[in-house]
Amino acid sequence: MDLLTTSVATVESGSEPYTLVELVGEADVTNSDALREVLDAEVAKQPRTLIIDLSGLRFMDSSALHVILRANRAMDRQGGVVALACPRDPVAKMLRLTAADQLIPVYPSVSEASAG
Amino acid sequence: MWLAHPWSFPPSRSLPLPSPTNDAMYHTYRSDLSQVRALVLRHAREAGLAESRANDLVLAVSEVAANTLRHTQSSGTLAIWHDEDKVVCEIHDKGQITDPLAGRYKPAPGASGGHGLWLVRQVCDLVELTSDANGTTVRMHMALRPAAAGA
Repeated sequence: MDLLTTSVATVESGSEPYTLVELVGEADVTNSDALREVLDAEVAKQPRTLIIDLSGLRFMDSSALHVILRANRAMDRQGGVVALACPRDPVAKMLRLTAADQLIPVYPSVSEASAG
Repeated sequence: MWLAHPWSFPPSRSLPLPSPTNDAMYHTYRSDLSQVRALVLRHAREAGLAESRANDLVLAVSEVAANTLRHTQSSGTLAIWHDEDKVVCEIHDKGQITDPLAGRYKPAPGASGGHGLWLVRQVCDLVELTSDANGTTVRMHMALRPAAAGA
């Protein structure tokens, strides 16, 4: 079983669709290149909103954080928005310590993230 | 200026660290950091470290071990031990950290690097680092009864 699995969906919500990337497992330096490829591919489709569901992520290190920050910069440049949803406690703490949560909004759930 | 600042001592001049205790557990890793994290979590729990602080230690050890994968071609070694006061994890590898301020400055939000060692220093009670041409040793301490916790 892979340490990190990613799944991508386009969700048609009330007003406009958003891209949902779900991360399950552990995201670290050993799979950050693969994560970057997944996020780069979605960013390239220029969605208005990219939501990353962290509820299944047991662990995230600074390599994975850098990949997410990079995706956020790219989305920002093209006028889109990244939101993070439902991080578990250790991941939420890491986002807080690095102040990444001041750059990327963090929501308790995907539905709240999609409502903005 | 004769007054020495605490950060003016290069790591290579640091005193050697005392040896781990005899009952330390050792683990060599080359690519599997998940196993490193699982060992640290299990040992920290067994030692009685609170769950959130056990997770802090897991993050710290994983960040240091990730540097082995990033910056060296060889394996690294994890040592874990504890006594009645603290849990200690030590990572040793063949890499060399030449910047005595590594991990001491807070990276700008959104910075594309520099968070790893900074996080290590944020979450641990004490971080000891020695580094020279022979390799780097980072020793991370977590007190079992943290001073002034919640005070």
